[in-house]
Amino acid sequence: MGIVKTSLLSLLAVPVLLAGCATPPPRSNQAAYEAYRQQNDPLKPANQAFYRFDNVLDAYALRPVAVGYSHVTTPAIRQHVGDFMDNMDAPAQLVEFMAAGKPRDAGTTLVRFLVNSTVGIGGIFDPASALGYRRVYTDLGLTLAGYGVPEGPYLYLPFAGPSDLRDASVLPAGLFLSATAAAPPSTGLTIFNYGSDGLSVVNTRANLIGTIDNIKKSSLDPYATFRSLYRQHRAAQLKTIDERDIATPPSWYPAKVREAMKPRPYGAP
Amino acid sequence: MASSVRRVLLGAFAVLPFLGALPAAALAAAPNAAVAQTFIKQSGDQLVSIVNGPGSTQAKSDKLRALVDRIVAVDQIGRFVLGRYWRVATPAQQQEYLHLFHQTLAYNITNQIRAYKGVTFAVNGAKPGPEGQMVATTVTRPGESPADVQWVVDTVGGAPRIVDVVVEGTSLRITERSDYSSVINDHGGQVSALLDAMKQQISRIAAG
Repeated sequence: MGIVKTSLLSLLAVPVLLAGCATPPPRSNQAAYEAYRQQNDPLKPANQAFYRFDNVLDAYALRPVAVGYSHVTTPAIRQHVGDFMDNMDAPAQLVEFMAAGKPRDAGTTLVRFLVNSTVGIGGIFDPASALGYRRVYTDLGLTLAGYGVPEGPYLYLPFAGPSDLRDASVLPAGLFLSATAAAPPSTGLTIFNYGSDGLSVVNTRANLIGTIDNIKKSSLDPYATFRSLYRQHRAAQLKTIDERDIATPPSWYPAKVREAMKPRPYGAP
Repeated sequence: MASSVRRVLLGAFAVLPFLGALPAAALAAAPNAAVAQTFIKQSGDQLVSIVNGPGSTQAKSDKLRALVDRIVAVDQIGRFVLGRYWRVATPAQQQEYLHLFHQTLAYNITNQIRAYKGVTFAVNGAKPGPEGQMVATTVTRPGESPADVQWVVDTVGGAPRIVDVVVEGTSLRITERSDYSSVINDHGGQVSALLDAMKQQISRIAAG
């Protein structure tokens, strides 16, 4: 994590400072006012400016690098890189799950980190999934959402992409939660941070080449489409966490009760 | 306390007009899990055999379009995507919109055929969702990581039909609705602006 993100964060205040606020339609025009409220995007002009900026940056820098990267890697290699990055993030997610009061997911994260860091050779492989401890995901924004903090207005951040007020506000705190933030500072660590941040960005982008190209080609208003996708995706992540948050029945409970408390497998009515 | 109750009520009233935009078909009973799974399995098998089969891209896309018309409730999805603007549109605009919606879908299918060569899929199960049976599948393309895709199957016109596709928790028709309504909003609520944008897009894709 680290420096790349720190420099991004200093840019976070910019959309607010630019005061590029959209003018809401008059309340007398009920349909238009309702549509404006539903979009929940009062900083739209500034957001769109950053969206265009990111698009140019992506077209001339990130996408070409990602295309080159995907030519010299296989899906399996990209999977292992992704697994490694996930494992690096596991300690932070453990803290977040505990803070959110999700003991089952916290336990899963802990087991995954221990197994994948050792048997999985530093997280390059994911043997924990094969043991039944499948990947779970959270971040500080989702932890806050669990407390009932609303997402707030939509934000498009330069370099960082779609976000909202809630998720953007906890980005600085995320820096102190990373695994490498706990290690003593050294030149080697700094180089590692730069390397892993860059690799993570390129690896993620490479996996999304086809998807993003398609969205841009097939949508009439890509900005609005990405906004919708971001919100739906966050809502789905939150729902997944809630659905998994079920009690573990103690072993001395009657078998019938234990059966009733079991999570329903996919396909069950 | 009282104000929060009022807010909830007001919120409910604000949503009511949008509920009216839901296709009437959604009110029919959704097919049960077994029917929905079999339907997706059969439809998917046909689709895969066309995509991976012999023939030119043009021949394949003709076959695929015919298949899609049989298994996807395109008109219902189109109405859902237009949302509250369906009622704002004139009957002539509704007709033209649905025509363009079909055309857009057809072009998107043709464009995707090559990218999906070698595709395989597996049905993992089904569970009831708010809009119908959610059938979970894993779609694998050569050179890509497997993707979890959920198909929402509902009863339309007495037969099971696909009414939505959900990938990573994002619904295709809700995303399309945001896209289209954004175009209409940006042009002062004019449906004609959307129709123009759709026509432009189609001619752009047709030009390659």
